[in-house]
Amino acid sequence: MSQNDVALMAHLMRRAGFGTTRTELEAYVEKGYENVVDDLVHPERGTPIDEDILERYFGSEGGYVGTWIYRMLNSRCPLQEKMALFWHHVFATGLGKNQHILASTNQIDMLRRVGMGKMRDILLELSKDPAMIFWLDNNENRKGEPNENYGRELLELFSLGVGNYTEDDIKNCALAFTGWTFGQPIPLYPHGYYAPPFLFVEEEHDNSEKTFLGHTGNLNGDDIINIIVEQPACARFISRHLYNFFVADEPQVPSWNVTPPQDPDAIETLANAFIASDGDISHVLGILFNADFFKEAQFKKVKSPTELATGILKLIGTFQSGPEPGMNQYASATQLMGQKLLDPPTVEGWHTGKEWIDGGLLTARVNFAVREVSDASKPGIQSIIVRLKDNGNPLSPEAFVESCLEFAGPLLIGDTTRQYLTEFAEANGEINFEDDDAAEENQALLVSMLQLIVASREYQFG
Amino acid sequence: MGRPYGLLRAGFPFHKTLSMRRTTNFPIDIAIGKEGRIYIMCRSDGTAMIRKYTVDDEDRGTMGGYGQGDGQFTWPVTIIPDSEENLYVSDEFLHRIVAFNSEGEHIGTWGEHGTEPGQLNGPAGIAFDSEENLYVVDSLSHRVQKFTKDGKFLFGWGSYGDGEGEFNMPWGVAVDELGDVYVVDWRNDRVQKFNADGEFLFAFGKSGSGNGEFNRPAGIDIDLHGDVYIADRGNDRIQLFNAEGGYVQKFLGDATLSKVSQAYMMTNASPNRMRDMADLEPQKYLRQPKSVAVSDDGLMFVPDFGSYRVQVYQKQAVPLTEQEFSPPRRSVTLHQE
Repeated sequence: MSQNDVALMAHLMRRAGFGTTRTELEAYVEKGYENVVDDLVHPERGTPIDEDILERYFGSEGGYVGTWIYRMLNSRCPLQEKMALFWHHVFATGLGKNQHILASTNQIDMLRRVGMGKMRDILLELSKDPAMIFWLDNNENRKGEPNENYGRELLELFSLGVGNYTEDDIKNCALAFTGWTFGQPIPLYPHGYYAPPFLFVEEEHDNSEKTFLGHTGNLNGDDIINIIVEQPACARFISRHLYNFFVADEPQVPSWNVTPPQDPDAIETLANAFIASDGDISHVLGILFNADFFKEAQFKKVKSPTELATGILKLIGTFQSGPEPGMNQYASATQLMGQKLLDPPTVEGWHTGKEWIDGGLLTARVNFAVREVSDASKPGIQSIIVRLKDNGNPLSPEAFVESCLEFAGPLLIGDTTRQYLTEFAEANGEINFEDDDAAEENQALLVSMLQLIVASREYQFG
Repeated sequence: MGRPYGLLRAGFPFHKTLSMRRTTNFPIDIAIGKEGRIYIMCRSDGTAMIRKYTVDDEDRGTMGGYGQGDGQFTWPVTIIPDSEENLYVSDEFLHRIVAFNSEGEHIGTWGEHGTEPGQLNGPAGIAFDSEENLYVVDSLSHRVQKFTKDGKFLFGWGSYGDGEGEFNMPWGVAVDELGDVYVVDWRNDRVQKFNADGEFLFAFGKSGSGNGEFNRPAGIDIDLHGDVYIADRGNDRIQLFNAEGGYVQKFLGDATLSKVSQAYMMTNASPNRMRDMADLEPQKYLRQPKSVAVSDDGLMFVPDFGSYRVQVYQKQAVPLTEQEFSPPRRSVTLHQE
């Protein structure tokens, strides 16, 4: 098992999932990179998460984000969960506007269910999703008094990107979605949330002839989606979204019509896969993860708060042996770091890359990471101690640093960080993890070293 | 009162709805006290409390609270009263039993985490026998254990599996007036009946959504007639069985607006309009009920977990003597007498 294999697999699982424990990582390496990718893009092969257990121990929608994070940590189909998060970034829908947690959580469940399928089906489900309909005012889009908000964003942010349609296309797109609304749910008080059902109101639908991207006829929303997914622009736009989320940070979406992709060949490769597969997202993901441009992109992305939090929790091995109370603290933690799941700031979603970081947000990220690794009793840290014992003792300061970097990632760091870590290790001399008399002291040293590592600049990248 | 020879089941109409969101969020269980007092156990992530209430829909404040200290609970499952109306609560995260008096004063905590005999590992259902010894479903160890009410271990039985006397994460437990013990075998979608010594008698139920079938059943209670009530959580219903495990009927929910709900709505114009625009059919149904409790006078209380309320039904049944109820038949018949 070469270090390169381990590093590459860790990269894959950070991006296509939410990180791994070291034991999981080694099992994946044994299986082989291409086989693991093949499994990832076929979530039906994995054992689904135990919904009965989630229902029994969590069971209330108020804790949905905590439960979602539990799913991220424990799913045997991590790419499916990651794709729900990906589409949540792209189809950003804010709880702050609808205030209906059940509608919002049903949307995430929908994204999990269809998010690795055909683009046509994804957009159709999205267009029928009550949280989205309300978010972009399609419930007010009626024959004779159209509301173009959903039609505009469907083209601008969800499928084609600015420059690939006209204002008339927007107007006709909106007309095609007139009457796509939802049934009024029973209000929250006094007896709880009820799911709003999708509703097509025939008398509010505009049946006139429309022209959209060169197609003319009595177009309905289904026809619009069929036309959209046939556009090369859709293939390129979704491919760039996938590249931005899974490979390397691109500029923010609103600038994509004026700023070319940093790797046009990669986008072309993904777009071709999209077109050849009739918009099959799983197929495109398989091409992406097996591509050299992906394999060479280690640590070229700033971790989102969700990725940072789940990566830390995977490292320390908590919440992975069955439900425990307290998952919702991580919903608060990611919010403090700038990502309030279910409630992105605008329809553009979160601004990613370097915009995840400013002075305050970096402090929140570092504080979270340092706090979580501070408890040596956590199973992931105990597992590292066992491995350090097996590494040959005593460990020189340099070997101690290398081992910790290996088990915390593996993580690539720059010379300056390495110098700081080594200076800290040298201050304590050789460490013998087989010396039971020094167990407590050694554990404290390990925790301190891990805290320095997760607080480093490099750890912000995934 | 002995078990009647038979029952004339006159009806089981819906009686009333109690409470609402905010007062009783996610009610997981209910204990029936004296003189119309009830105690509703509420649990969600980061919140837990006992809401003191009355059958007249009056809020009398709270008892206990979320946490790990004395008189607190983290993942409470079951609340039951003893003969003096002291309340016993199982906590499946803290692996312990917590007791309060009816005024809410903490009067005791016991339980040690572990899998050895007498230790607790995810205690869920609890039930007193006639001598007020306590049966505890030790869910994560797939067994039932019996203790004195102050925690002295007496005996236990059960192990993981799906055979007779085996369990897969059992949940509820109830003791009938004869001393027999019913255990809801959550992940095996069945109910098993044992005598007071833990000897297997029979089982009923299987996975499914048909009459008499279960989808992850949870809580259980037994009334003075020996009728058995099961909270069939995954099927959003309560099922009623006779003492032999024969299916009688199901309850899907018939909720109306509770008194406090109506008072709330009278001061909120916007929700009134939204209700007027909505299909109100779904509002009456139970959502994920996890428990059920029946009073001596035949009131069935169903904590409606997903709808933040309690639905109450009234049993109407007349005990029958041997002269009024012919012997059991081996076969069905079309003959009319």
